[in-house]
Amino acid sequence: MTRFNALRRHLFDIRSGEHLRAWAMFSYLLFVLFAYYIVKPVSRAMFLTKFDIDKLPSLYILIAIFGGALAYLYSKLAAKTSLRNAVLWAMSLSVASLVVMWWFIRMRLPFMIYVLNIWVSLFSVVSVSQGWLVASNLFDTREAKRLYPLLGMGMVMGAAFGGEFTNRTAQLVGTENLLLASAFMVVLAYISFRLAIWRVAAPVVHARAAGETDTDFSFSELIRDIVRVRHLQIIVGMMVVMYLVDTLVEYQFQATARMDYTGDRLTAFFGQFYGIYLNGVEFLFQLFVTSLVVRWFGVGGTLQIAPIAVALSSIATVAAPGVTSASAVRLAEASTRYTLNKTGMELLYMPLPLELRNRIKAFIDICVDRLSRGVGGVLLVVLTTTSLNLGVKGIAIVVIGLCIPWMLLSYMARKEYVASVRRRLSSRRLDLQTTRVSVTDTATIRMLESAARSDNPRQAVYALELLADTDAYDMRPMLKDLSGSPLPEIRDKVYLVAARRRLDDLLETAMYEIRAAQAAGGAARAAVVYALALAPDRARLAEELLEDSNPLLVDAALEGIRSDRELAETLISKEWLDRMAAEEDPRKRALAAVAIGVRGDQGTEALHRLLQDADTTVAAAACRAAGILHNRSYLFAVVQALGNPRLRGDAITALAAFGPYITGVLAGFVWDEGMPLRVRRHIPRVLKRIPDQQSVDALLGLLKHPDLSVRAAVLKALNHIRLAAPELRFDSVFVTEQILGEARYYFELNAALAPFLEYRDGRRAASRLLARSIEQRLRESLERLFRLLGLRYPPREIYSAYLAVSRSHSGDSAAALEFLDSILERDLKRILLPLLDAPEHLLERGRELFGVEVKGAEEAIRDLIGCRDPWLVACAMAAAAELHLRNLATDIARAAAEAAEEVSEVARSAEAVLAA
Amino acid sequence: MPELNIVEKVIALEGVELLSSLTPEQLARIATIAHEEKFPPNRVIVDPAKPLDALYVIVDGAVELSRNGEVLHTAHQNEVLGAWALFEENDSMPVSARTVEDTRLLSIGRDDFYDLLADNSEITSAIFSTLVKRFRKLVEQ
Repeated sequence: MTRFNALRRHLFDIRSGEHLRAWAMFSYLLFVLFAYYIVKPVSRAMFLTKFDIDKLPSLYILIAIFGGALAYLYSKLAAKTSLRNAVLWAMSLSVASLVVMWWFIRMRLPFMIYVLNIWVSLFSVVSVSQGWLVASNLFDTREAKRLYPLLGMGMVMGAAFGGEFTNRTAQLVGTENLLLASAFMVVLAYISFRLAIWRVAAPVVHARAAGETDTDFSFSELIRDIVRVRHLQIIVGMMVVMYLVDTLVEYQFQATARMDYTGDRLTAFFGQFYGIYLNGVEFLFQLFVTSLVVRWFGVGGTLQIAPIAVALSSIATVAAPGVTSASAVRLAEASTRYTLNKTGMELLYMPLPLELRNRIKAFIDICVDRLSRGVGGVLLVVLTTTSLNLGVKGIAIVVIGLCIPWMLLSYMARKEYVASVRRRLSSRRLDLQTTRVSVTDTATIRMLESAARSDNPRQAVYALELLADTDAYDMRPMLKDLSGSPLPEIRDKVYLVAARRRLDDLLETAMYEIRAAQAAGGAARAAVVYALALAPDRARLAEELLEDSNPLLVDAALEGIRSDRELAETLISKEWLDRMAAEEDPRKRALAAVAIGVRGDQGTEALHRLLQDADTTVAAAACRAAGILHNRSYLFAVVQALGNPRLRGDAITALAAFGPYITGVLAGFVWDEGMPLRVRRHIPRVLKRIPDQQSVDALLGLLKHPDLSVRAAVLKALNHIRLAAPELRFDSVFVTEQILGEARYYFELNAALAPFLEYRDGRRAASRLLARSIEQRLRESLERLFRLLGLRYPPREIYSAYLAVSRSHSGDSAAALEFLDSILERDLKRILLPLLDAPEHLLERGRELFGVEVKGAEEAIRDLIGCRDPWLVACAMAAAAELHLRNLATDIARAAAEAAEEVSEVARSAEAVLAA
Repeated sequence: MPELNIVEKVIALEGVELLSSLTPEQLARIATIAHEEKFPPNRVIVDPAKPLDALYVIVDGAVELSRNGEVLHTAHQNEVLGAWALFEENDSMPVSARTVEDTRLLSIGRDDFYDLLADNSEITSAIFSTLVKRFRKLVEQ
């Protein structure tokens, strides 16, 4: 039974809530094709009996002319009415036309045979096209991929039943009376359509082929759509070549048949060929091949099979022209066109925006189809009636030649399909980019000058920054004016700009600013940096400031001489450092750390002590100094600072400043059980700041770390580096192994969750907590899976896909899954897509793929008690106690012996309950 | 009555609205700073005259809330006292809280809470999310 279900799902995966829609659409297409395959053999047999084969190209051309006109009219109608009304009108007119034509044909009017043939070819295109348009509004991309093969099978069965019905009843009821049977099938098709749209969302029921504003679109607008969208161009290109080939192959087939058969034998031959051989092959294809081919080869591969099959079978016609070989080509061409090619082409439409798809699809299907056949008719006239005078063999060679661009276009279709899905996914991301005002004209400069002199310090500072970036602008008058501003933010910016531009006009006001400096500082810090950059006696000034009692001025002086190592070594003596490092005031001890960063640590051990300082401002300054000095003797202390939230930011910056040569040591710390976990799980944040191959290698090695919080941090770091430095190598074999391992863990967790689903919203608190905790682990595992995928595939698109999948918005989710389906390798796709796309079959897929079996509550809890996740172990122990699972007492005791104190406490409580 | 273990503390904390966006494991981290306190009947837990610097979750027992001698509400298991005290330094509750029977509480001190947030940014983010949702709801009302 399980195998049967698996096979059924492989072939047609219809899910809960989809049955009515799927089967009604199946019936809709079945009855439409049933109706068509009654009128098709009838109309062709009547034509070939009444006229010679050389009239056939003219029929193709007439179909093209009338087809083009009808396509335009239909597009207008479809745009002005709802899809539901369009179907109603098309079906009503079809029934009426069939009855009227039946009546005229009974009056033996020869022109009616032409009318019937034209009408038949248009009927098939309009009604089938409408059917697929309805389907594309009823199903999203993922549903379509699963269900379209079923709908295609409905078409194949309808065609087979129709052909066979005609074959067996023509002589009984009379050929022309079969038209009434066809009308009845159209009525059944309409009933199926109404069932398909019953209870579906209003937008689907009322979908239009174009929006309100597009109701007046013209032929030129439709052409413009095709010119604008490359995806449509490829679809059109493929359809043109495909229908050219179809016309030539059909001609070959009918010409060879007409040579061997006439009258009733010809009708019987057509009925047998279409009803039994062609539809038998199509049925088998659709039942066993199409779904598998789409799954294995994707859209592009599916579309390539038809041209290859036609080209190969045409070689046989070249070698031995005749009805047998021509029938074989027709069989290969028509069977692949109605199965693989039809499904592939419909999927090819799916990534297009719905509005564009609705507007253009009917037009392309009808117009391009008819026009291509018309061109095919002209081509046939040229090939058969001019000096070329090609026979069946010559036409077969032309067919082989046309198959080459067809194959090329199907290859391009694959690439364009993936690109369109990717574009659709990316368009949901908003990329904000910072923009910078370009100061080029006088009006802008006047506006900025005005803003710089305003009372709004934020605006003034920004305006000054922009003016300073303008090389040709003379800043002196502006800076001189603003150096007297009452707002310290503006004065601060004035000194910074003056220092950058090396303008020495402000030295006097800067010295005044320094002398007037209070504890808060105003703009004194910027004034000191400016003065030490430009003052003629800067060494003396720096020496004075280093001895100032105001720590702010000392700090500013250190900043001012940072770029002059020689001066710093002269002015900052070991004695000065020792004195400052021993000060009670933590601000001064912090200055000692800053000074070591400026002059170096030669001859002093003070920085080791300062790194251990109890005051976090001192320790943070020491971390920064260690980062500047790159001295590995401070490494351990700085790493330990990662455990203190108040030092962590500085510690990360300092460690990152050491660069790639400490990556191995840092990775070693992560594995060091002696180092607290709260320190170790922040080390990946350091490594991500070092975008180097050594960091990548170190982080990949850490992916095997048993602690989930460490693994999560490692993955975040790897994703960050992948974005920042895409040129680095991420061992794809290793990453794939990790993806498969994570997928297996996901399936295992899902199986472990199964026995507790009933407790998820229940009153058993511990069991409920266990269920919620496993669900949370599943969400985390899913995130890790996508993060791992981001190391192998385009990270931004993978992230978008993750958001779409995790937020469970069906439209986005379908697009995301379609994207993954397009880019993932087959081995990964086989494992990951069922995990994401078929939650109701997860347990079954886990069993099939990894042999993961669902266990009862007791066995599942036993496994969880033995796992390496302390939180799940604790929850499992509590659940065991709550469910009175006495058999687990030994397991709990065993696990408690090796567990941390918090888990052991839970174990003791559980043991007490179980012993009671 | 035995001390609560970490799982039992998490189960008690699941009812706190402020912590409703947290995952079970994040609640477990909060549980590590949640201290169990036991009170006999008629003991004042919250005094309007004194600043409140902790959140209390009633594990079992009952606490009467009153203002100017008028009883406003009797809080029972899983109810929370002073949820917003964690965010308002030196603020007091406008009501007094007194036990009416033997009562066991979990208390989370403000300092411990902020230290935990500093070390666990994802918890901070989840709590922000709850606060934003609550704020939005108030604005919509």
